[in-house]
Amino acid sequence: MSLAAQNKIDVTVSLAADVVAAIEILPRVRPPLARLFAGKQASLLLKVLPRLFALCAAAQQTALLSAVETARDEVINRTTKQHRIALIVIERIADLLRGLFVGHLAQDIASAAAIRSVMRGMSGLLGSAQPAWGSAQREATARIVAALNVLGMSNEGGAVRSGSPLALRIAALDESGLKSIPAEHSFLSVADDLNIIKRLLVDGAKFCYCPDLDGHVPETGPWARQMTRDRLSPSPSGAAERLRARIAEALRLCAWLKAGAQIDSAEHGIIERYKLGPGRAAAAVECARGRLYHAVELDPQGRISRFEFLAPTEWNFHPRGPLVRSLQGAVLTARRRRDAVDAVIASLDPCVGFTLNFREVGDA
Amino acid sequence: MCLSVPAKIAKILPNDMAIVSIDGISLEISIALVDELEVGDCVLVHVGYALAKIDPTEAKRTLELLQELGSAGERRS
Repeated sequence: MSLAAQNKIDVTVSLAADVVAAIEILPRVRPPLARLFAGKQASLLLKVLPRLFALCAAAQQTALLSAVETARDEVINRTTKQHRIALIVIERIADLLRGLFVGHLAQDIASAAAIRSVMRGMSGLLGSAQPAWGSAQREATARIVAALNVLGMSNEGGAVRSGSPLALRIAALDESGLKSIPAEHSFLSVADDLNIIKRLLVDGAKFCYCPDLDGHVPETGPWARQMTRDRLSPSPSGAAERLRARIAEALRLCAWLKAGAQIDSAEHGIIERYKLGPGRAAAAVECARGRLYHAVELDPQGRISRFEFLAPTEWNFHPRGPLVRSLQGAVLTARRRRDAVDAVIASLDPCVGFTLNFREVGDA
Repeated sequence: MCLSVPAKIAKILPNDMAIVSIDGISLEISIALVDELEVGDCVLVHVGYALAKIDPTEAKRTLELLQELGSAGERRS
């Protein structure tokens, strides 16, 4: 049980007067999956992953399955590919909406009922054994869209209904009392996959605790995807912008499901597979929090002889990463400083476990 | 890599809250995101929220798996 208790990131913000002078981030304990997986058949491990990672079970299973299939030179057909992409998208929507509640609407009982309704619809879609996207799935998606409307989410552009709890929350974040200084942002994308996988296999767990791309630590997740897809100028970069990106993405993905979940119109790079040599492969999956990587090596009997993984949280909560860039040099008013930092953390990942401490230091 | 933990509901509280027991430790959590829970049900808990109802056998297996992983975990200094 100690592992679950330690599955938290420790964040310490040092303040000089009201200015953030430094942010120290201590990573959480990584579950020793490599040791657990070594010598076992992949089929056994696919059942283990949902027990551990309830938030992103489909993404974890798909990443492992895709890496193992590629290592074995197995080819999947178009219908299976479509089904897997749809599962990842459904899980991503559920996770994005859960994050809206956990991070922003926890006190709103009506929102909880609407999100429960969405979750029921999502569970039905996730549990569907039908690989093809048929009328039952379309009807379920229409019910989900109706529940989103109750939450004030009815516009694919990401605007929320005026006066709704979400609109009020965005307004509150805009006035959160955190004045950030401009920072240079970069975003993780499918173009980075091979570079990351190479580092994953060369440096293993050492790289995963503190990953970088040629010294840069890009952001991953809904806002990063929006910035990359729409080629927007990354400014401003506060909690409200990340919340708007989360809402816009949930609506856009629902529209894709409603339109039939077609591969040709799917987001680029949701599931990517990379053959790296005999019995060696990797996969990347774009889940709610960002890009997830699994790499495997198989022995001649087809058992896993090596397993490496890298979660999106390791980028967003890196000691030189997006959280630090968002807070470094910011002015925090004393009365609301904890709320303001909580909001930035929640904007990167509403469901991450963390402890937050403040330390007063001399003038910077 | 956010781990969720199995817990048993010990008491239902007002406002979609509940007391759960996680490996013998009592904790107050939100059950707002899961329908129709009762005392004795097992749920997966993450950052103070019940994510899903699970059957007791699955809860036991998951606890055993977490204990196995926990005994081999390490923290980067």
